[in-house]
Amino acid sequence: MIKRLQDIIKRASQHLHLNTRLINYYWQRTRRNKLAVAGLAFIVFLVALAIIGPFFTLDPTEANFEEKNMPPAGFVTEQSVYNIETDEVTTKEVHGTWKHPLGTDSKGRDMLAMIVSGARVSLQVGLIATGIAIILGTIIGVLSAYLGGWVDNALMRFTDIMMTFPFFLLLVLIIFIFGSNLAFIVLAIGLTGWTGTARLTRSESLSLRTREFVVAAKALGASDKRVIFRHLIPNVISLIIVIATLSIPGVILAEAALSFIGLGDPMVSSWGIILEAGQHSLNTAWWVAVEPGIMLFLTVLAFNFLGDGLRDAFDPKSNI
Amino acid sequence: MEKSWLRDYIIKRLLYAVIIAWGILTITFIMVRVGPSSPADKYLANLAARGQDVAEVRAAIEARYGLDQPIYEQYIDYMGNLFQGNWGWSFSTSMPVIELIKTHWIYSFQLILLSSLFAAFLGILIGIYSAVKQYTKTDYAFTFFSFVGISIPNFWLGVMLILIFSVKLGLFKTYYDTTLPLFSLDNLKALVLPVITLGTGMLAGYVRYTRSAMLDNLRKAFVTTARAKGLPEQTVIGKHVFRNALLPLITIIMFDLGSIVFGGAYLTEIIFGIPGLGQISFNAIFANDYPVVVAVTLIGTFMVLLVNLVTDITYTYLDPRIRYD
Amino acid sequence: MNNVILKVSNLKTYFFTSRGTVKAVDGVDFELRHGECLCLVGESGCGKTVTALSILRLFDSPPGEIVDGQISYDGLNLTNCSSEQLRQIRGKDISMVFQEAQSALNPVLTIGDQIIEQIKLHLPLNYSKAEDRAMTLLEEMGIPSAERVMSYYPHQLSGGMKQRVLIAMGLSCDPQILIADEPTTAVDVTIKAQILDIFRDLKTSRQMSTIFITHDLAVVAEIGDRAVVLYGGKDVETAPVSEIINNPKHPYTSGLIECLPDISKSTGKLASIPGTTPNPLKMPQGCAFHPRCPKAMEICSHQEPLETVISKEHRVNCHLYK
Repeated sequence: MIKRLQDIIKRASQHLHLNTRLINYYWQRTRRNKLAVAGLAFIVFLVALAIIGPFFTLDPTEANFEEKNMPPAGFVTEQSVYNIETDEVTTKEVHGTWKHPLGTDSKGRDMLAMIVSGARVSLQVGLIATGIAIILGTIIGVLSAYLGGWVDNALMRFTDIMMTFPFFLLLVLIIFIFGSNLAFIVLAIGLTGWTGTARLTRSESLSLRTREFVVAAKALGASDKRVIFRHLIPNVISLIIVIATLSIPGVILAEAALSFIGLGDPMVSSWGIILEAGQHSLNTAWWVAVEPGIMLFLTVLAFNFLGDGLRDAFDPKSNI
Repeated sequence: MEKSWLRDYIIKRLLYAVIIAWGILTITFIMVRVGPSSPADKYLANLAARGQDVAEVRAAIEARYGLDQPIYEQYIDYMGNLFQGNWGWSFSTSMPVIELIKTHWIYSFQLILLSSLFAAFLGILIGIYSAVKQYTKTDYAFTFFSFVGISIPNFWLGVMLILIFSVKLGLFKTYYDTTLPLFSLDNLKALVLPVITLGTGMLAGYVRYTRSAMLDNLRKAFVTTARAKGLPEQTVIGKHVFRNALLPLITIIMFDLGSIVFGGAYLTEIIFGIPGLGQISFNAIFANDYPVVVAVTLIGTFMVLLVNLVTDITYTYLDPRIRYD
Repeated sequence: MNNVILKVSNLKTYFFTSRGTVKAVDGVDFELRHGECLCLVGESGCGKTVTALSILRLFDSPPGEIVDGQISYDGLNLTNCSSEQLRQIRGKDISMVFQEAQSALNPVLTIGDQIIEQIKLHLPLNYSKAEDRAMTLLEEMGIPSAERVMSYYPHQLSGGMKQRVLIAMGLSCDPQILIADEPTTAVDVTIKAQILDIFRDLKTSRQMSTIFITHDLAVVAEIGDRAVVLYGGKDVETAPVSEIINNPKHPYTSGLIECLPDISKSTGKLASIPGTTPNPLKMPQGCAFHPRCPKAMEICSHQEPLETVISKEHRVNCHLYK
């Protein structure tokens, strides 16, 4: 069984013209960058958290007013309690417990559960929206470079126009017009974030066509298809991987920002929504604002470290 | 001879900008008309909540906005209106959209200007220092902090600053007061945290770009020549290296404006209650006040267009290699 | 000799990199006399450029360091004098001209700006006098319409003009010594001839003392008075140019001479020295040249040769002569 699996992988990588030695070479170069490895480790942790976390945490939507505004485990805060019968306001001490390791919000929902469920949202949005943007951008860029002429001109003018719109403002407008459900947010981000990729892939494709190794390959008699698959694509792929890794944080932040201003999908507990709620309870429950923010920050940081490390690893001129 | 060349370039670039402007307006129009809910629906949601007769109001609105006319007539009307300064009526504030914009844009402008100055000064200085001291601990520290600065979600930073400084420490409790002059002490105090919030992301970017531009040039041969002349190191870095680094730096900084700065300003205004265009757009979203949201988007876009145009021309004028060709 | 103006003794400049220590200059001795043109000859990587850079300490200092040796000039030891003293010498007493004039000039400053900057730094002239001096220099270098050229940017000039501008810059403060790093390498043949003319002129009209770095023995023959042959970071032979050409002692020197194409022989293969220059991170044991030497002996592979004096002006480092 294992042998069959190995065969399949081997055959697939051959058909996809995957050069395992090259991949290993790049991986070795990336490994030397400790920050990039740390970033990758965090991302793996996050993915694991998102996939299996929900099975181990409490229900994030379960509101429990008795347990509202509890601090994270190990912290102690004071809450004012209004006693209806005696018309008195007293303060009582509230201790964090391990039942709610990250505390609860103003409605008594478990923070850890909400954070984990938010991880799922952020990763889904991050991967899918980036995927859409990258694919769209690459198609437009490569096609533009390949076809040239008026097609190239028209596509690039269109790209220029779309690039002039400030990304976030355009996103806000689209969501405002079309509505805020998660699927649509993902689509909207994908449809507005492709311009950078288009530009980069186009310029890379243009320069590749005239590079000496392509001319040499053709002079040696390589067919167009062989040139494309064995020479052009591997060079463009490394660029695409770097662009993708560096785009994901922007996408995740865009979704969080939309949720923060209330345009997010209300059915879903995105980190942005939690943060927005936390903004109003800074006095009473500061952890509600701090926790989702830290997660966002670390996630973005991780992808930036990894992306930077990958970019250096792929760049033949950098001396790693 | 060189002057007419520059003039030709400016004219060409202006024409191009006009084409882009047309494209922007057209795409916005398409989005608005293609959307599932027309401006009428949004307004109706408001009115229905206030108990007015839906059918009657719908007819009035459609007549007023010409929504019953064929699409191309609507398009012509739209373009015509925009050029005449008729940017629609803001339902929620009962004034023409253009009035709303006229009274509020200055606050956004102030915020963005102060943040940019803060970020540019500090960022460029740190970037130069970092590049000159490459491989030292200071360089590594600054590089790490610039990563952090780029990665911090700026809306979270704003909230954290409020948490630390306003809530826990009790400083900076002032709110922005539009009755006071723009640069009054109270208002400037109120702007400290917002400027730090918006400026930090920009700052980190400036540090990275400056550092990289300086590093690119520090290895070049003309630097050795400059040293061989006996010039003090300060002059070598400050005059020779920096001027070469400055040119690409300007373009990168300016072009970043649209993608990073405006989105950041939007969020910062909301968090700190600064009455700029981002704030009024935010309010408009919840009041379903369509024209305002569209107008703010368009203004932001045209600002980017303008900045790109100016930067393009400035760069072409400044770079001697392009000039005398 | 009391007309020695610069003396380099046992200079060692190493580069400490993450991949190992590069001993770019590993024990070089020579002296420069007043009014002469001394050539530093050798293939790429033999350390001649680093030697020249070491005189004014112009190499990148985090990886590079002068670890031993002395450079005596005007009563100072340039290897350890203060940077303030060094800066006063640079561009004024000792000037350096680099190859690849396009990258050696600052692309965003005008020619005038770059020359005047140096003049004003070292000489007490006001701006317009400095400007006049710059224009005179450009004319001396054979650059036509000097006034217009002053306001040009480097990319507007041809290769030959750029190189002349560099030389003019080097001469602007009347230095005692001019170091020229392969000024004829990156240019085509006609310009090469013009530049060599300029250097010849400098010797006769200004009695300028020059250190001329090149890998081309033909150039050495044309304008050099004495030559120092470098290999693997060490000097292997020092002699007047006529001796080097007609009576080379070191096998490397003879090899270089044989490589010069001979027009009188119309057929036959071009000669070359077998092998390649040694990897600076892994120098051969003993004499650095022995793997490529046609006359290598057993002792050459484990012992470095000491200096042998052939005649008053001729020194060799080779086991063949002991």
